[in-house]
Amino acid sequence: MANKEEKPEGKDSSWKDFIYNPRTGEFIGRTASSWALIFLFYLVFYGFLAGMFSLTMWVMLQTLNDYTPKYRDRVASPGLMIRPKYFDIEVNRSNPQQYNKYVQGLESFLQQYNDTLQEQNTVCTEGDYYMQENNELVKNVCQFKRSQLRQCSGLADTNFGYAEGQPCVLIKMNRIIGLVPRGDPYINCTAKRDTPLQMQYFPSEGRFDKMYFPYYGKKAHPNYVQPVVAVKLLFSEQDYNTQLTIECRVEGSDLRNNDERDKFLGRVTFRIQVTK
Amino acid sequence: MTKSDSYEMFVEMDNVDGDVKIKKKKKMKKKEKLESMKKEMDIDDHEITLEELEMRYSTSITKGLSSTFAQEVLERDGPNELKPPKGTPEYVKFARQLAGGLQCLMWVAAVICFIAFGIEISKGEISGYDDLYLAITLIAVVVVTGCFGYYQEFKSTNIIASFKNLVPQQALVIRDGQKNQINANLLVVGDLVEIKGGDRVPADIRVITSQGCKVDNSSLTGESEPQTRSPECTHESPLETRNIAFFSTTCLEGVATGVIINTGDRTIIGRIASLASGVGNEKTPIAIEIEHFVDIIAGLAIFFGFTFFVVAMFIGYAFLEAMIFFMAIVVAYVPEGLLATVTVCLSLTAKRLARKNCVVKNLEAVETLGSTSVICSDKTGTLTQNRMTVAHLWFDNMIHAADTTEDQSGQSFDQSSETWRALGRVASLCNRAVFKPNQETVPIPKLSIHELEDPLDLRYLLVMKGAPERILERCSTILIKGQELPLDEQWKEAFQTAYMDLGGLGERVLGFCHIYLNEKEFPRGYTFDTDEMNFTTSGLCFAGLISMIDPPRATVPDAVMKCRTAGIRVVMVTGDHPITARAIAANVGIISEGSETVEDIATRLRIPVEQVKKSDARACVINGGQLKDMTSDELDDALRNHPEMVFARTSPQQKLIIVESCQRLGSIVAVTGDGVNDSPALKKADIGIAMGIAGSDAAKNAADMILLDDNFASIVTGVEQGRLIFDNLKKSIAYTLTKNIPELTPYLIYITVSVPLPLGCITILFIELATDIFPSVSLAYEKAESDIMHLKPRNPRRDRLVNEALAVYSYFQIGAIQSFAGFTDYFTAMAQEGWFPLLCVGLRSQWEDVRLQDLQDSYGQEWTYSQRLYQEYTCYTVFFVSIEVCQIADVLIRKTRRLSAFQQGFFRNKVLVSAIVFQLCLGNLLCYCPGMPNIFNFMPIRVQWWFVPLPYGILIFVYDEIRKLAVRRHPGSWWDQELYY
Repeated sequence: MANKEEKPEGKDSSWKDFIYNPRTGEFIGRTASSWALIFLFYLVFYGFLAGMFSLTMWVMLQTLNDYTPKYRDRVASPGLMIRPKYFDIEVNRSNPQQYNKYVQGLESFLQQYNDTLQEQNTVCTEGDYYMQENNELVKNVCQFKRSQLRQCSGLADTNFGYAEGQPCVLIKMNRIIGLVPRGDPYINCTAKRDTPLQMQYFPSEGRFDKMYFPYYGKKAHPNYVQPVVAVKLLFSEQDYNTQLTIECRVEGSDLRNNDERDKFLGRVTFRIQVTK
Repeated sequence: MTKSDSYEMFVEMDNVDGDVKIKKKKKMKKKEKLESMKKEMDIDDHEITLEELEMRYSTSITKGLSSTFAQEVLERDGPNELKPPKGTPEYVKFARQLAGGLQCLMWVAAVICFIAFGIEISKGEISGYDDLYLAITLIAVVVVTGCFGYYQEFKSTNIIASFKNLVPQQALVIRDGQKNQINANLLVVGDLVEIKGGDRVPADIRVITSQGCKVDNSSLTGESEPQTRSPECTHESPLETRNIAFFSTTCLEGVATGVIINTGDRTIIGRIASLASGVGNEKTPIAIEIEHFVDIIAGLAIFFGFTFFVVAMFIGYAFLEAMIFFMAIVVAYVPEGLLATVTVCLSLTAKRLARKNCVVKNLEAVETLGSTSVICSDKTGTLTQNRMTVAHLWFDNMIHAADTTEDQSGQSFDQSSETWRALGRVASLCNRAVFKPNQETVPIPKLSIHELEDPLDLRYLLVMKGAPERILERCSTILIKGQELPLDEQWKEAFQTAYMDLGGLGERVLGFCHIYLNEKEFPRGYTFDTDEMNFTTSGLCFAGLISMIDPPRATVPDAVMKCRTAGIRVVMVTGDHPITARAIAANVGIISEGSETVEDIATRLRIPVEQVKKSDARACVINGGQLKDMTSDELDDALRNHPEMVFARTSPQQKLIIVESCQRLGSIVAVTGDGVNDSPALKKADIGIAMGIAGSDAAKNAADMILLDDNFASIVTGVEQGRLIFDNLKKSIAYTLTKNIPELTPYLIYITVSVPLPLGCITILFIELATDIFPSVSLAYEKAESDIMHLKPRNPRRDRLVNEALAVYSYFQIGAIQSFAGFTDYFTAMAQEGWFPLLCVGLRSQWEDVRLQDLQDSYGQEWTYSQRLYQEYTCYTVFFVSIEVCQIADVLIRKTRRLSAFQQGFFRNKVLVSAIVFQLCLGNLLCYCPGMPNIFNFMPIRVQWWFVPLPYGILIFVYDEIRKLAVRRHPGSWWDQELYY
């Protein structure tokens, strides 16, 4: 800027002068009033920009619906996820300390499915979508009792089978607002090895009942619990000490389970190893 | 001032040189070199007898060398050619292209990418090949831009190479007593060679025999008049004596034989050429500018990167992550496409100039002309046509001006007079006068005797030309209007006045006379004997005077005038005589009408020269002799005090000193020249301009620019283009720098506020190297905002290419608006897909967690990692689109710096319009071409997201219009100071 460039040439101790020049009273190339002026200018400038930003954000937020997102195309199909939240499960059945974290995880996840809580919810008709009219602001939730998971409910067997070396894994499907799967979705798990591994599904056949769909979103559907499928992996002695890769897919419906890039769309893969 | 003085001075020049350059060691070396040069110049080959000469070079002046001996000498001395100045090896040139400041940063960034990728592999968790791609892309960018720069440089060097050795020069040599035509580069010392009119002298030659041999030494000394060469030694100085002809001068007429005394680099020309190569090449002003701001950018990039590296470490990121942040900030902040843009802009201008016959050797020289404040021009061949032409005639007691234009397009004088016919006849008859050898020394003027064409008239016509006073001595009558009148005192006085007038114009005056010989005394068949003088040589009839000059080129006065209005000082630096130099200077306007020198004032006021106030004299003519006695301070003073300067009788070294003096005064100096004697100055100058047709190879080698048509007026075009490109480069750079802020802020926000990444590195590279290149280049086609040829040249210290105001305005104002536009669009895209702005804050670690396949958005929906990733790519694209939209506004505002965009016109620059269209098309292609999401992380975005940044684009345009309005309305105000770049 002009005032800086007009300094006489041939100044040697320039940087000291640059930081504070006692002759001109310049501090880093500007006088105090010049600094004040430029500071004021940027204050106004950025103030205006921030105001404009806030305004546009506010206008944009006004256009949004509180209940459903404007666009849902990015999450057209639900992903699958397992509980406990580990993709590498190692169970030493004789060491409770070691598998306790899985048990804890499952237990805390299933708190919301406690029968006492679920009994407050509606009992819906199985096999039908539970469509609710728009005018009811807070939507009803279909009952999913923990006890439906039987051996994997953690009620009778508080260790979810980890102590016997036949651990339970819960498969849950991601919530997607308005999703109504066509057909009869059920979970099918396979072990990636030559001989099949025995498994037990709860509820029976690993089905997600249609009555749990659609989901109406966090605000309209605050107490919604999504259906889960528990898989009890029936390991026998000879299956111990080897790591097994288990893949579970949702089948029997229009839900995608073979996306090339998204390995969790309608399917989930995890590894499990049980030792004595 | 006699010729001999000047030549001695040429030899002793190094003394002055020594005074001027005292300090540096390097210069001391140069002085030693000059010293040794002086010693070598003390040759006595011209003084010794022919026998001694034969002894010295073991040759024979009749038979020449023997072929076998010549072969031996050739092996000893090497070929007879000037060694081309040592070029930089090609691989070094290429490596230099890859090792600039920005390039080094990019290498560092690429290495960091590789390390990050390597660590990920060794850990066994490959989340993607992004780092690898990025590293490869970065290296590709550096290499490709490097190749491009190298290619540009290579191409321009090639143009020059094509000038050389177009036709291998041939020479007629006598060896073993036989004449042979051989390549001139095979000649050796002692060879006996023959030269005739039209030949180039193949080496330095001691003349043995000569028949009317004249050489053109203009490329060596700047004298336009042909110099006679004869076997006698006429002067002890080798440069002054007539019996030495110099390498690369041209033999104009006659024939001569001679013995070669020096070949190749040991010739006088070779020594001057090596002096030229000893002069360091100055960095061009634009190179200094670019280096200056690349350093700043690189410094800032490292500063930003390092700061955020520390911040990231402090916040608690892992070391590797912090390193990747550093890399990303460097990639975001460094304007990768900038150097390519600058190169393209410069080469566009170079092409434009080439179309106007200015070939640029060094791309950056394109701009140098624009910042030039002083042009030191050689006279002969540059300002003048380098051919003696009739300028004035005196007959009928009147001075008539002849047409001296190159193509005879000017006004001619009245040719109806009888006297003109007589004078014309005498002149044309005397022109081809043939002499016996050795007759020039006879102290009579040239004469010849002719039969008349009219078959009825049997008289002989005797015509004579020569020095006017000598001719007048022999005349008794004078031809006035076709009538012979007695030559009385009155006419003699008139003659004297005319003679003085013409002489004062710096012209060479010849007198012409004739007589019709009495047919009785000299009947047909009479044998005239010039030795005996058996005919009348007195009582002739005086026909008139003709004066000749090497006239200025027709386009020069106009060009000099334009330079003046553009604030450029034109200084004449010539080897020719002061009177001639001054006359030409006055003629072309280097000394303007009414300007006086100190001497003029002294004569006008009739006071001694010492009493004249120097500041009163606008003009000043300094000759080499005076210059020799001046200290460098005095020379600086002279240059400061007198706006109109002419230097005459200068040696090559003195030309160098004059250039240095101008540079000391802070000027950017252009030197124009054609001769070998100009080459050191051409090299030293900020920009050397050589003449393409008349120019010697040495001059072309030393120059940065070559005028193919030798037209001085092309320089004006060059100045205009140079100034325009400086302005337009400023605009281009401002445009390019602006988007670095919206590229950088996403990272800063990402690191500090932990939102999901709004803009990826690969996307940034697409902006830098694909979509924004064409618009930034298109600004080079922008027309000038004002009449740039009426402005003063820029002050290299004050008017920087990238000044603080430009950087601040681009970064903190337009860049800031663009960042806000990007974030608005980013948050819009996020919110409309279900992620509210407040949720985004602090979301980063969960968002990027590969294990977290069920992350809840603001509506309770759960997203897998891949779904989030595609959402992130959507954000990249949205941010990209925002930058593009804002950059369109940016390119529109950058069209002008002061004028309103409406005044400049939106569609005048067609290239820019097509660049915007191209940018939009490319943006759409990237967004909507199938397959893009997985290759380049571009997602097909919703159409309305293109329009979210539009208000900000309009804001940019409106804000800049307001800024320009304030700058125009209130020059010198706070706005002008802070916001005009």
